[in-house]
Amino acid sequence: MADVKSKDESESEEDDDSSKIVIVLFKSDTCAFCPRAEEVVRDTIQDFSPESFRLRIVNVSENPEVAEEFGIVALPTTMIGGVSITGIPEPEMLMKMIMGAGVSMMRGAKE
Amino acid sequence: MSNFTIERVNTGVPGLDELVEGGFPKGDTILIAGKAGTGKSTLAIQFLYNGAMQYGETGVLVTLEEPPRLIKRNMMNFGMDIAKLEKESKLAIVDLSPSKEVTPVTMGEFPSFDLSGLEAIIMSHVKKLKATRVVIDTLSILAYKFRSRDILREEFFKLTANITKNGVTLLLTSEIPEHHLGLGVFDVEAFLASGVLVLYNEKISDTLRSRSIEVLKLRGSKHSSRIHSMRITDEGVKVFPGEISPGI
Repeated sequence: MADVKSKDESESEEDDDSSKIVIVLFKSDTCAFCPRAEEVVRDTIQDFSPESFRLRIVNVSENPEVAEEFGIVALPTTMIGGVSITGIPEPEMLMKMIMGAGVSMMRGAKE
Repeated sequence: MSNFTIERVNTGVPGLDELVEGGFPKGDTILIAGKAGTGKSTLAIQFLYNGAMQYGETGVLVTLEEPPRLIKRNMMNFGMDIAKLEKESKLAIVDLSPSKEVTPVTMGEFPSFDLSGLEAIIMSHVKKLKATRVVIDTLSILAYKFRSRDILREEFFKLTANITKNGVTLLLTSEIPEHHLGLGVFDVEAFLASGVLVLYNEKISDTLRSRSIEVLKLRGSKHSSRIHSMRITDEGVKVFPGEISPGI
């Protein structure tokens, strides 16, 4: 994966624990819906169990190459595992994605 | 009579510049519409290739449909070495085609998004290469990627305005679905552009099809109002201004 360091990256927990579920939120400087999407993602993580996650925020205005690599053209887009959702996500949808990512990680660990 | 002349960008496509007063107005958005297999992508990529090879203008090709390796192979068949231009930083291919393996599978969308990601990606390449020609091939694919058509329509206006505001000439391709009477799936394609070219490949008898091209509109230009013959030759698209299409 390309370098995803951005100003916001420093806000995420710097922990290399590979058992954590990685959530990537793509946003931009001009995107009107992105701040709300970020709030929803952060709140959902808080309600779940914050220590199980690593939140990476990619500001596409600063790091367009990361969005290009993943083919992300619409913002906000939240990516968990191999799936994504565009627009301000509903917490229930995020939960489903998180559960899905958790299950596939457990499967991966068994194999 | 005014001495004012609009600065024009030569397409370099044989015969085409003659139909459009020498070229597309610089900084305009031009739509190339046509059904599948009419030569839209080839014509648009030729615009970039000729820009780099003949006119010293760098370009950016944004591919939303066809993977770059197939584009390069197909253009090489017309003697156009796209990979070489890429190496020389005269042309950049932005691969947003569905063939990319890392692109996440979408779980759905909520009608609260914009295309600022696409804009940032395109503009970063435009800046890097100091590009003056951009092709987006094809806009239509976004209709299948996203459901919120109203948002897309609005975002297209913002996107095209922002790409062209500093003099970049933008070509958009749009696929006209079979049996469709408009110029594309969004029905706003023609409004996005100050120029519209329509390509045809119509059956004229049981055993024959005929390719042709029409300049439907080109603001600020005395363009041809006829439908002209067009062929795809060993050297790519060629337009024959003297030949009026045998009928469609």
